[in-house]
Amino acid sequence: MKVQANENRAAERTEQIRVEGLSKSFGGGDRVVDDLSFTVLQGDILALLGPSGCGKTTTLRMIAGFETPDAGDIFLHGRKVTNLSPQKRNIGIVFQDYALFPHMRVDENIMFGMRLIPPAERAARIDKWLDLVALRGLEKRYPHQLSGGQQQRVALARTLAAEPDLLLLDEPFSNLDAALRNTTRNEMRQLIKETGVTVILVTHDQAEALTFADQVGMMSEGRLCQLGTPEQIYQQPQNALVAEFLGHTNLILAELDGKIAKTPLGTMTTTVQKHGTYWVSVRPEHLEVVSDPEGEGRIMTREFRGPDCYYEVEYRGQEYKVLSPFYCTLNMGEPVSLRIIHPGVVLKDDPDCPRCPVVSCVR
Amino acid sequence: MKLFTWYVSVISVCLVVLTGMAQASELTLYSGRGEAFVKPIIEQFQRDTGIKVNVRYGDTAQLAVLIQEEGQRSPADLFWGQDAGAMGALANAGILATLPQDVYVGLPDIYTSATGQWVATSGRARVVAYSTTRVKQEELPQSVFDLTRPEYRGRVAIPPTNGSFQAFVTAMRVLHGDARTLEWLEGLKANQPKIFRNNTTSVAGIADGEADFALVNNYYLPRFTATDKDYPVAQTFFADGDVGNLVNVAGIAVLKTSKQQNAAVQLVRFLLSPAAQQYFTTVANEYAVTPNVISNPDLTDTKVVLQAAPKINLDQLADLEGTLNLLRRAGHL
Amino acid sequence: MTGYNELMQYQIGLMRKWIFGAGRKAPPSLLVPALVVAAAMFVPLVYLVARAMQADRQQLVTLVFSSRNLELLINTLLLTGGVLAIGTFLSLPLAWLVTRTTLPWRRLVTVLAVVPLAIPGYVMAYALMGIGGRYGVAARLFDLQIPNIQGYWGAVIALALYTFPYLFLNLRAALLGLDSSLEESARSLGYSNMQIVRKVIFPHLLPGLLAGYLVVGLYVMGDFGAIALMRYEAFSFAIYNQYAGAFDRIYAAWLSIMLLALALSFVVMEIFVLRRRRLASVGSGSIRPAKPAVLKKLLPVAILYLIVVLGSSVLLPVLMLAYWLVLAPPDISIFLQVPWTFVSSASAALPAALLAVVLAFPLCYLAARYPSPLIIWMERSAYIGYALPPLTLALAMVFFALQTAFFLYQTIFLLIVAWTIATLVLAMGPIRSAILQARPNLEEASWSLGYGPIATFFYVLLPRLRRGIIAGIVLVFLFCMKELPITLLLSPTGFNTLAVSVFTRTVEGMMAEAAPFAAAIVLFSGISVGMILRREKAL
Repeated sequence: MKVQANENRAAERTEQIRVEGLSKSFGGGDRVVDDLSFTVLQGDILALLGPSGCGKTTTLRMIAGFETPDAGDIFLHGRKVTNLSPQKRNIGIVFQDYALFPHMRVDENIMFGMRLIPPAERAARIDKWLDLVALRGLEKRYPHQLSGGQQQRVALARTLAAEPDLLLLDEPFSNLDAALRNTTRNEMRQLIKETGVTVILVTHDQAEALTFADQVGMMSEGRLCQLGTPEQIYQQPQNALVAEFLGHTNLILAELDGKIAKTPLGTMTTTVQKHGTYWVSVRPEHLEVVSDPEGEGRIMTREFRGPDCYYEVEYRGQEYKVLSPFYCTLNMGEPVSLRIIHPGVVLKDDPDCPRCPVVSCVR
Repeated sequence: MKLFTWYVSVISVCLVVLTGMAQASELTLYSGRGEAFVKPIIEQFQRDTGIKVNVRYGDTAQLAVLIQEEGQRSPADLFWGQDAGAMGALANAGILATLPQDVYVGLPDIYTSATGQWVATSGRARVVAYSTTRVKQEELPQSVFDLTRPEYRGRVAIPPTNGSFQAFVTAMRVLHGDARTLEWLEGLKANQPKIFRNNTTSVAGIADGEADFALVNNYYLPRFTATDKDYPVAQTFFADGDVGNLVNVAGIAVLKTSKQQNAAVQLVRFLLSPAAQQYFTTVANEYAVTPNVISNPDLTDTKVVLQAAPKINLDQLADLEGTLNLLRRAGHL
Repeated sequence: MTGYNELMQYQIGLMRKWIFGAGRKAPPSLLVPALVVAAAMFVPLVYLVARAMQADRQQLVTLVFSSRNLELLINTLLLTGGVLAIGTFLSLPLAWLVTRTTLPWRRLVTVLAVVPLAIPGYVMAYALMGIGGRYGVAARLFDLQIPNIQGYWGAVIALALYTFPYLFLNLRAALLGLDSSLEESARSLGYSNMQIVRKVIFPHLLPGLLAGYLVVGLYVMGDFGAIALMRYEAFSFAIYNQYAGAFDRIYAAWLSIMLLALALSFVVMEIFVLRRRRLASVGSGSIRPAKPAVLKKLLPVAILYLIVVLGSSVLLPVLMLAYWLVLAPPDISIFLQVPWTFVSSASAALPAALLAVVLAFPLCYLAARYPSPLIIWMERSAYIGYALPPLTLALAMVFFALQTAFFLYQTIFLLIVAWTIATLVLAMGPIRSAILQARPNLEEASWSLGYGPIATFFYVLLPRLRRGIIAGIVLVFLFCMKELPITLLLSPTGFNTLAVSVFTRTVEGMMAEAAPFAAAIVLFSGISVGMILRREKAL
């Protein structure tokens, strides 16, 4: 099954890259990438999100042409590029460590990307790029004389200067310190949107994926678990793995009858109609905890975090995570009662095995 | 592309250097005789004729076998060997060109091959050299066969890879048979001889105190005594007729495969010229093969030498291979 | 039928992985030259065996099972054992003195201990041979005629003095890497000093010592110059005599194969011993060096020892050369030959160095970027040329030229090819580490910007490899400049090198005439020693 999100927009824009049934294994071991398919529309940013070892970087390297897939095909503008060597694909990549040529200055690095532009015009173009990435004045420096953020902008400018059909970003922000990461991320997104280039980004940072991308593809063990807008991925996870990777969640086994579910916490509504036993994901902020001397719940953990307050509550032998607004009045061991205040999300997981990803991930 | 041009130019410079090195040579001489001896006379030839000669030095047997192995493709034009045996071996193999008669006509029989395929450049005698400080007169061996006795244990220097030594072993095989020769070689080996590369170092080895006796050619010792009157080495013959007193020759031949027969014969003629012959006897202390040469006062008179020498025809010394095998079986090689 | 087809598919898949590896396919533009280079490494082996097989059965029995071979084997083993024993005596206390004591001038002593590497075995033998004898320096200066140093002890001393720095460097590194907390914990457990040396320090030094033994042992087995000058009848000398004196090439080939087998068994033995003793430091944290011992009563002994070691390995050859150059110099014309001989040496050594580097590149690059079982084996095959005793290699190349490539026979090209085979590993060392240091990302970035493999090589990879390539060229060049046995057998008629000049003159006892050439070699080898010192950054 092919995942196609945002059908409403598909009609307006053409497909930029399509991946069909991509598979790859190394040295006869398990498949690192297993029958992967997706499409990215022109001008979109797709984030491939997943824990390390989930196959997202291998996917990126296959798209770039650095690895040969065992099976499957890659189409750029509908043209099959699977067997094309990297230099013939016109796909740009910015590496995690930027891969700036240490023996070239900033301007030389950027001009190296302008292979197809006549040398006479390169000098004029370089100014545009230097301005765009705000590196004017640093063009005669060598990479080692730049900060991490500056190096990254040079790498981006070098790649964009080649005017690629597709831009690949491999964990682009992981080498930056936390303080710099947010601003760089916003600047870079703005820059990318200005140039209108299509992007595939690989990251293990869910916040990065949610804020940066138009589409997020959650990967696990070489498979795509869910593909959708950041809102869809966060608010309507299809399985436990996605729900848990994007923030905390409570997985509750519920007996569904239509949109009414019976749970150990009492009755709740769900987002879709189902009948039978299902796992339901309830985000901590969708639970309410109140002091109740009669209540069966007990506060086990209490973390005051400034804007909000995080509790772990024991209730009838189960632990529940609850996120309360900033007032943090409950104490350890205090008797409380729990209430679900928002409809839960019904998951597709096997009720007997909530974390069996092979079953739960999209094939 | 700057880098690329740079690399191309480096490689082309190397190629130019290489082709310069590999330029065609005029004459190639394989010499079984030592560089110190050959170089001056060859340089004289180059000066006189303007013909360039490249010399490949090696041991006589090595080069003789090498020429056979190279066969038709041998780069050598001439072969200058240390002994008649090697020359005979090559003549038997049919590798040598026949020299013009006038080159060797009139020389004593001992100095040419019967078929005119090689000619002697000088004559020499085998002697026993000994230490004047460590050897008493009564210890001097009467026969080369005495050297396997216990009193000579660890005292005798031999150069088993040397062509003259090997020719002497061939002569022993001719006169005394293979079995007797092998017995002697094995006895010598068991007597812990001192192994040297050549005659010069064997003689020097006596002076340096490494050995007391050495089986060498006659002309090496005078080179030392000429500059060092107190040189503690003397030489003598064994009893008359002993195979240890073999008289042998150094010979030169032109290869059939040489593309420069005329230039090669020119070198042969030069080596038989009075000037070269005088050099061999005066500087190299050998016996000249042509008359009209002032004899060297340091050399024992030819008559005495021939008196001591065993009676043998030099053409019989051609079985070099058999000698090498025997030396190998006795563990000398 | 489908089952069979699937099996075939599976087999083909396995084969593909064996050849190309699991990742991207290695580009044929590199794979083909690398295959050719790897195949070329087997050429000497093939010709050696082919030549040896020409013996008929009768001949074979007499050749292989003669008592002479046993004598040569024992002599070679005695020589190797003697060199390793004396080398250990020269290096172990020295390494301890410079790493674990308060000995003054430790840095200088360390540098001096590496200097003997600049004096090749045959030059060391030359220096020793100039002392004794009627015309030796002892007789000339002090009127003291001592016997010539030669034979077994001459060869052992010459080779030990030349090679002990290898052991020293290994032992020094091992001692510096020894965490003092190991000793301290042993001490706190109540072990005596002797027990600590035996149970803690020695097992830690062993891998370094054995690795040094492997390098030195292989070198000694293959050495020709010092052994021939000292006239010690080891395998290599016998091989040369077969070639030079008797010219029985079948026997020479068999002797070569026996020597090769000896060298191989040595390697296997080392691997076996080393594998059982993998002593990586367990636990985290940086290594804390031990507190240096204060030499009190031992200081005079240490100084005496230093005088013996450094005096014989550094001072002696330098003084001997100085004597023949200054006090008893040869004719001026000999000095004038040195520059020409140098140019002659270099004219073959430089192409060999460039060729070795050019050929090393595809092997190193493939092994670093496209490792597959085949490519790993191809890379390893380069060690054949290094492990082959040089005389064996040269002899095999003579066979090769005579039988197959006569156009190469007695040309400088054959010498260059043989040198290249012998030195490929030397060139690969720095190039491999340079490639490993240059991240593959850089090349991938260049490809993704649309540059092909050749443009990527020149623009991106080469600038990163420049240092490694230059180091490779220099290493091979210096090796060839002082190489003796291969040169002696393969140099074309009329071609002369510094090393051959030293050898042929020393053989004739022309010590003064050899001196200028020997001095040139020592000065030149000093550069390679300088490079080794620079690599040992701590010095």
